[in-house]
Amino acid sequence: LDNPWFTFSFADFSYAFLSVLLEGVPFILIGTLLSGIIDEFLPSRVMVRFLPRNAFLGICLSGTMGLVFPMCECGVVPVIRRLISKGLPVSNAIAYMLAAPIVNPIVILSTYAAFRGQNAAEFTLMRVGMGFFVAVVVALAVHNLPLHSVLRRGVLSEVSAADGAVRAGGFSVRVGSALRVAVTDFLDVMVFFVLGVTVSALFSTSVNQELIMPLALNDWIATFSMMGFAAILSLCSTSDAFIAATFIAFPGVAKLAFLVFGPMFDLKLLFIYSAVFRKRFVAGLAVGLFVLIGLICVRLRILGL
Amino acid sequence: MTVSVQRYLSAGVLTIWGVLLAHFYFSGRVASYLHPSFHLWTGISGIVLLFLAAGLLFLPRVEDPCCEPGCEHLHVQQTPVRSALASIVLVVPMLVAAAVSPDQFGAATVTNRGYIEKINDLPSYQPFAEPPLPTVDGSQAAIGTGDADASYLPKNDAGQIKAQTVDLLYAAEEPTMRADFENKEVELIGQFMPARADNAQGDRFSLVRMFVICCAADARPVAITVQMDKAQPVAEMSWVKVIGKASFPVESGRRVPLVLAESVTPCDPPEETFIY
Repeated sequence: LDNPWFTFSFADFSYAFLSVLLEGVPFILIGTLLSGIIDEFLPSRVMVRFLPRNAFLGICLSGTMGLVFPMCECGVVPVIRRLISKGLPVSNAIAYMLAAPIVNPIVILSTYAAFRGQNAAEFTLMRVGMGFFVAVVVALAVHNLPLHSVLRRGVLSEVSAADGAVRAGGFSVRVGSALRVAVTDFLDVMVFFVLGVTVSALFSTSVNQELIMPLALNDWIATFSMMGFAAILSLCSTSDAFIAATFIAFPGVAKLAFLVFGPMFDLKLLFIYSAVFRKRFVAGLAVGLFVLIGLICVRLRILGL
Repeated sequence: MTVSVQRYLSAGVLTIWGVLLAHFYFSGRVASYLHPSFHLWTGISGIVLLFLAAGLLFLPRVEDPCCEPGCEHLHVQQTPVRSALASIVLVVPMLVAAAVSPDQFGAATVTNRGYIEKINDLPSYQPFAEPPLPTVDGSQAAIGTGDADASYLPKNDAGQIKAQTVDLLYAAEEPTMRADFENKEVELIGQFMPARADNAQGDRFSLVRMFVICCAADARPVAITVQMDKAQPVAEMSWVKVIGKASFPVESGRRVPLVLAESVTPCDPPEETFIY
């Protein structure tokens, strides 16, 4: 290396940190406002009623539900837990849970914006298509598993319980409740976003980019190391594309792996998933997603992406 | 921690964020951080956050059944320690960064990121393939045709071409565009960085502009080399105006843009510090 591998400037770090925050906040805000409205005003039975009886079709439809009911990966977990308890099949819930943070209009918009000038349309399409495909594959695998090997005991006991809860209060009270849900989601997500941006800003300003060039030059290493970054950074899917776009030295498939794996599994989700699913299932999900997405991305590279 | 304290804490965090975002937008400071297409979103977000803070305080609320003992629902910020830590994480780094940030990168980051010195390395680079657009009278515009006057290029009062670093990188790659600049007087504004290579005489420096796709975090330094009669005592990453003659010699087997400077003078940052 011509220069030191690490040169820290607090001023530069602050500048990069602020720029990503300013850029990401609007997208997170839109997502959490929608999540508040959905949480308060959308009856969960509506989703169940419109699902096809055929399991495969139901899973596929669930994988696209994020287009109509967009949720980020943090907000979607409490929602699917509620939906499962109201009778939604677990496989459908997992398809929705994994796909919704990617297959949703906010993320499509932000991915397109972040990759403008870098084949944005093709990249966005690849991200959405692969996110949907992986979610459906995993959901089909889960469809054949017994419930007690997937759900935590407490959640399993809720499955048979009928949803007797009735929303109380007038319109203004319900608006207030939606607003509180939105605020809670926003603050929860922002905590993880701030932490992720901190690591990202530190990396992008302080580390000599020549150092990571060897990682970027090998497709296998680049792809799997980017998924590792995604897991560590724990970014929100509404704004992770802006950070992925800064890894300019990495091949497109490695960025794709980052953008598909990150919304499906990262450090913050490890804890949140564990509140709904059994620990062994969560571990299996992590390994399965890591291998599946990595292999698909490397294969895409071989095909010439 | 009571529910009321939790509510005031959340409203406080939202208010601080809202004020900060609105300040960045209305003061114009956001222009140093984001691509213009994101500016308005920042302002709107600031205002929405302030409304959310007000709504949180004043809209009617119902008792949360989840506060009952034994609730297993997911509430990340329900404990007092978590709430306090979350508020600190949300507020302190943002305020410190806003106070410390100089609104531009320094030499350390520019050096770490490395220069773009070939137009092919620019993220949005598209080969020069499309024909020029017709002018108002239907004739072909002179873009990249080697027009002796290069009349389409903006000029300053002294008749020198007002160029960008990226223009000269394009010109080094495209012969027709090169003819528009070669041996012509140009005026460039950029940030000063000492030359890192090919500077045995000590009479060269790099003129840098940050190329941005979305925000400063993805900014890449685009640099061209400037040669002057004697070394100038200029601070790293300070803004300078260079007036000189554009040339495109072959160095190390590659055609590179080189400005033979007649004058290098400190100047204020341009209105748009980024190039897009």
